[in-house]
Amino acid sequence: MRKRHLKKALVTLFIIAAFCTVRAQESPYFVTYDHHLEEPGNLELEVYTTSGIPRSGQVAYVAPYMEIEYGVTGRWTAELYLEGQGTVGDSAVFTGWRLENRFRPLKREHWINPVLYLEYERTSEATRIQKEIVGGGPDVTSPNSELQATKNHELEMKLILSGTTHDWNIAGNFITEKNLSQSEGFEFGYAFGVARALASLASGNPCRFCRENFIAGIEVYGGLGTTEEGFSPHNTVHYAAPVVSWQVSDNGSLRFSPSFALTHEGSPVLLRFGYSYEVRGVGSKLAQLFGGKH
Amino acid sequence: MLTVLVGVLVAQNAGYHQDPNWRVPADAMSRANPLARKPEAGAGGEKLFKRNCIECHGEDGSGVAKKNAADLLLPEVQSQSDGTLFWKITNGNTDRGMPSFSRLPELQRWQLVLYLRKLTTTQGMSPKDPAK
Repeated sequence: MRKRHLKKALVTLFIIAAFCTVRAQESPYFVTYDHHLEEPGNLELEVYTTSGIPRSGQVAYVAPYMEIEYGVTGRWTAELYLEGQGTVGDSAVFTGWRLENRFRPLKREHWINPVLYLEYERTSEATRIQKEIVGGGPDVTSPNSELQATKNHELEMKLILSGTTHDWNIAGNFITEKNLSQSEGFEFGYAFGVARALASLASGNPCRFCRENFIAGIEVYGGLGTTEEGFSPHNTVHYAAPVVSWQVSDNGSLRFSPSFALTHEGSPVLLRFGYSYEVRGVGSKLAQLFGGKH
Repeated sequence: MLTVLVGVLVAQNAGYHQDPNWRVPADAMSRANPLARKPEAGAGGEKLFKRNCIECHGEDGSGVAKKNAADLLLPEVQSQSDGTLFWKITNGNTDRGMPSFSRLPELQRWQLVLYLRKLTTTQGMSPKDPAK
């Protein structure tokens, strides 16, 4: 019965993805943020999955999530996440939502461009999307029924530093998270990424498989411990992940990344897939609808 | 000729005024387009323009008035140096709705500059002689 629910969830996700088309030059990262924000008035719909390949004593899981991203202004992007998780031999559950905001304080491009990130999360302990990893990483061994019982209000902050040099994007994120529901102290994490387009010049012909439509790179991310349990690298999860994005149409892109664990905690391999579709000019269309000027 | 001129004038975002605070550093202004001797790269620029720019600047580059986007055919835009246009594409003017396109590789941004120059020739106008 539970397997049937998981299958249904996966089929639904696939159908949603299949009916979207995907946008050019999207960042290929899954965890690391760079300094590029959503264009003002544009809406981006994204569907992702994080699949955990188990080691002995663990079970496989698929954690799909949907992201709705809107460019409020040129320097402020807001996002809503809805996330779930299905574990083989266990159950499929809705694990919660997140509201995220990114602010870019500086107007111009610099060698290093800071972006401030603030997120509120209402998720259960069963969350496994691993959009970021803090502290020791998620619990991938306990049953969902037990994990779903604990709901958390969390506040997360990131300092995003990112720049572009010789067509390479280099980005570093420093993460701190506070669980407002439990006294866990502050948890810390990091993410670093480098990526570049496979071709510097755009060809004159329309093409899907040209090198210019692909961006490849690598990201490294993990937890740095907590104020309560200390900052030892032991008992924390760290991953190295090659990343690739493919712009399959003017409005959308596909992403893929296998993440490999560098420590013995967590899942040994995470397979991540993503598909994003950009709807342009949503802000102005809404403004027109409600009689605004925009 | 008159039809072309009337067409261009109608399409233009007549209400557009440049942001006086969108100032380009002197060293950026003087940068030359490394693709200047490769006009064939302009075809790629056209593709990039259609993908990234027409939503605000329109297919012919004349600017969508509702978005207060620049009319790229105007002499006050076309008279700017290649380096100036490249800098503006790279940095954007986020407070006025123009995003930064620094995510595009540098040569692709120069391809866009190449194509912007071509826009005027397809409209039969020369940047320094708008009435022609």
